[in-house]
Parts: sequence; structure tokens; C-alpha cells
Amino acid sequence: MTTLRTTIRPLGIAAAALSLAACASVVAAPAGAFRVGSGYEVSLGRDWSDISAVMAGKTRKVRLLSIDGPLLNRLYLTDGLAPGDFLIKPEIKERPTPVIRKDMSASERLEFITDSVAALEYQRVELAKPRPGRIGEASGVRFDLTAQTREGLDIKGAGVIAERGGKTYVLLYLAPAEHYFDASLAKVEAIMASARLG
Amino acid sequence: MRAVPVSLAALAAALALSGPVQAAERLAGSRPDIASVEGGLWGEMDKVEAEARTRGDLNRDPALNAYMHEIMCKVAGPHCADLRVYVMDRPYFNASMAPNGYTEIWSGLLLRASDEAEVAYVLGHEFGHFVETHSLERYAARKMRANVAMAASVVVAVAGASSAAGATTSGEAQSIIDATRGTIDLIYYAQMAALFRFTREQESEADLLGQRRAGQAGYDVAAAMESWRGLIAETQASDFKRVRRSESRSSIFDSHPLSADRIAALETQARTLTPGGERGRARHRAAIRPFLPAWLRDDLRRRDFGQTLAVIDRLAAGGEDLGVLNYYRGEAYRLRRGEGDLAKAREAYLAASGQPDAPAATWRELGDIHRRDGARAAAKAAYETYLAKAPQAEDAWMVQDSLSSLERSS
Repeated sequence: MTTLRTTIRPLGIAAAALSLAACASVVAAPAGAFRVGSGYEVSLGRDWSDISAVMAGKTRKVRLLSIDGPLLNRLYLTDGLAPGDFLIKPEIKERPTPVIRKDMSASERLEFITDSVAALEYQRVELAKPRPGRIGEASGVRFDLTAQTREGLDIKGAGVIAERGGKTYVLLYLAPAEHYFDASLAKVEAIMASARLG
Repeated sequence: MRAVPVSLAALAAALALSGPVQAAERLAGSRPDIASVEGGLWGEMDKVEAEARTRGDLNRDPALNAYMHEIMCKVAGPHCADLRVYVMDRPYFNASMAPNGYTEIWSGLLLRASDEAEVAYVLGHEFGHFVETHSLERYAARKMRANVAMAASVVVAVAGASSAAGATTSGEAQSIIDATRGTIDLIYYAQMAALFRFTREQESEADLLGQRRAGQAGYDVAAAMESWRGLIAETQASDFKRVRRSESRSSIFDSHPLSADRIAALETQARTLTPGGERGRARHRAAIRPFLPAWLRDDLRRRDFGQTLAVIDRLAAGGEDLGVLNYYRGEAYRLRRGEGDLAKAREAYLAASGQPDAPAATWRELGDIHRRDGARAAAKAAYETYLAKAPQAEDAWMVQDSLSSLERSS
């Protein structure tokens, strides 16, 4: 019954993505200062892996770190996102992902987070407990998040989104609710607290 | 020598036209021998069904699932006990029925169906695949065509190699090798095209079976055509040119017929069936009403706002749920942010605000839009209404913050 027509094109896209992924690699993000972009730095309390290059939907302004692999914990750190930038890059034009806009309200910034997480194919994405937060000197909103994988695994998230000088900064942590989220939450909160905008 | 690949190309075309495999119609209550091919297919689908029961997007609402099962049983008659329907919260028009009776119906389809008769037609269509054992036929056809393609490729390769060996110049040999390679590619493409043609034929057959089944169950057979007309209208409303053009372009690699062709075939059959029958519009709306907010939010996350607006227009045609529907209409315009969209969003939120079922968030969004427009008094009033309607909302402090900043700047 599906109206999604089978074509050869998706196979080509998948093949291209695989060939590109084969060229990319995971690099170490050792404990200590970690520079996210042109003017944003956090302090890592332990060694992480920078998996930005191997993740689907990666963009120049988004760094993705993990300890045990992206399915078990992932930490998104964005450099200042300008209007038109996204957290998750769309795979095709007809499946766009949320973008930053110049006149976003506070609730739209939170919507940017939930809709971006939904674009990662998570289900039932719900943001909870928005409260005042900071990334360095930029004031913003701290939040918690719940979701599920397609397979039904419960996911928890925590993060902060802040705006300064027309740029949006995001720090978002996602991990399975069972064991992994709590196991690294304190480390992630320390990273959040250590953020310094240049 | 050049005639060899040409005649082999004709062979490939002939292979593409070779007929499909027909399986027997399934009897109610029957289960295949576990050692048979069909038994293997059932076993695999039993595993998929077990996984579906734990999936994150499974809708577990007992009332909705019972309602779907009830419609399924009306359509499937004596096969009712063989079938299990699962509602999946996925924002696309889709349903499927596996050979073991495991049936999925997606929330996007329930959101787009105007009434129970349209749902009955879709379930009848899927039941058509089930009762005619289409998946077994597809499996057999795929296997047969893979074998044919392999055998034909070997014949072509041997013939090509023999011809190349007899070539008088290296250039001529290379030309023969290139032509042979092209012919082998053609054989595989022809087999793929034939397989897709076969699935299109199965879809057409299931359409007609579905319409007949729905009619026999007492539903209006015109619902089948209206279901496809709604989808065509939605496709035409897409924000994306490629999507809008998809309904007018067919390909030999399409697995489904064009919607317009499906409507034409259904209209022809409808003239031979008893007209009238029930639509079950009120029952359908009552069943999906609790899920409208979540399903519309899911649909907005597809970010084809033109399509979502078309879906909302269809839902609003009966004049029900206008608070919720106008709120999400406003959300679609606000998120799209095209030329003039924020003004349309404001109008939609205002329309929602006059309805008893408007979500409290309507006033928060109105406040934000008025604030952008510089209409401070209206923004202040909207924010205050939001806080009055949802004093315990987790984001109340954010709205209070916006209100305070408005008051400071006035």
C-alpha cells in the first residue's frame, strides 16, 4: 500500500555515504581542553572519542563525542550556529531538518532540540524540565529529554541551548536510560560547567 | 558479429515478459508446513512480529487497537482469527500485512483517512495480498528471475567471449566485449523491471480485492477512490517540486501504480458494485481524536508543511476539532516561515483561540507572534492568558520572562 516508490536513487545515495564513511575516521579527544570551534572550549574530565567524521548528518559546526560508541553515549557540541545552520544535516532536500532562525523565541529554541533529535530517527521525543542554564557567558535554557529508539530502547538526554551575539550554542547528551545515561551524566555536567565562549 | 549482442538484447526483453508464478488462495485457519518455503516465510515474519511488539513506535492504546481489529474482522470475515493488527505511530500513509497475518497500519494513514470506510478499503487491500498469498508469489518470482538472469548472463558471456576470440582486430574485440557487458546489464535491468511490473500488478489486484471486500462488509465502495484523491491532493500540496511531480511520473522500477491509474481502475470496478454503504465518519474521528495532537506533531516533524496543511484541511472539512486543527495549522505556517506565513500562522492561532478545544500553547504562540509584530498589548494579553490556562506548565517561567521583558520595555 505504501506510496513510497522504490527507485534506484536511494541505493546510490547509500553507496556514496558508505564510500565517504570509509574515508573518515574516529580520533581521540583526550582529557583536558577541547576546542569546539572558533571560539568555544570545554574541559574534558576523561578521554573521549571524537566520532564527528563518521556520523551520518555531520556538519562543520557540530562535534560529536562518545565514550562507548554512539549507540551507548553521544555528546553533541556545536560551535555558534548562525541562522540557516542545523544540528543534523538533512540527507536529502525533501527530508529537511530543523534550522536556526534569526528571530527564534525561547520555546522555538527548545523545539529546535526536540525536532533535531526526532530527525535522528528517535521516537516519542519529549523535552522536560526546562530551566535557566548557561554555556559559558551565554545565558540559555537547561533541559532534560526522553525518547526511544525504533527498537524500543528508552533514551534519556540532558543539555543546554544558549544564544549570544546572534549565534546559538548547543550541548546535548544522549544515552540509553539503563545504566549508560547515569554513568556519564556527572562527567557531562562537568563539561557543561566548564564551557567557555571566546 | 555485431548482430550477436543485438539478438541477445531481444532475448533479455523476452525474458522480462516471462509470466509470474501464481499461488493458490489461502484458506481460513490454515498454516503452512514449517518445512515448506511458505512455512519459512511465516517463521521469519513471526520473528519480525515479535520484535514489533517491543518497538518504540508501537501504539499500545487498547481502544484504538480494538477498533482496528474490529474493522479488520468485518473485512476479513472467516479469516479474522488469523490476523493481528498493530497500529504504529509513523507519520506516513502506509499499511502492510505479512503472510503470517501480522498487520501494520500506520498512524499517518489513520490521520489521512476521512472515515472508517477508507480504513476498511486499505485493510481490504492488505487482506487481498494475504489471501492471494502475494508474498509467496513475489518470493517465487524473485527466485525464478534471479536464476533466469544468471543463466542468460552465462550464455551471453560465453557467446561474447567466442565472438571476441574470432575478432580480426583488438578494437573489434573490445567493441564486442563492451556490447556483451552492456547486454548482461540489460538482462539484469530487464529482470528487475519485470519484477517491479509484477508487484505493480499485485498492487492493482489487491486494490480491486480491497474495494470488493469493503463493499461486501457494508462500506461505501466510493471510499477507495476518495482515499487516493486525498493522497493526490496532498502530494500536489507538497513544498517540494520533486514530490509534486512524483504523481505524474511513472517508472519501470516503481513498485506501485500511479494513484491516478488506481483511481481509474477502482472507478471502473465501482460501476459493477452496489453503491452506497456506510462511511463511519463519526466513529473514525472519535477513535483518532485522542491522538490528533501527537500525530500532527509527528507529521510536522516530516517538515513538508504544505502536505501537513493539506492533511489538516481534510481533517477540518467536517467542522470538528477546530481548536486543535487550527493550532496545528498555525504551527505549520510558523515552522515553514515562508513569505506571509507568520501572518497566516497568527490568523490560524486566532481562529483556534475561539474554540473550546484550543491547546493552551495557542496563546503562547500568539504572544510570540504579536511580540514579533510589535503589538505589545496583544502579546501581553496572550502571554497572560497562557499563564492563566497553564499555570503549572514547565515553561511557564519562560513565558513569564517574556512577559516581564515586555513590561520592562513598555
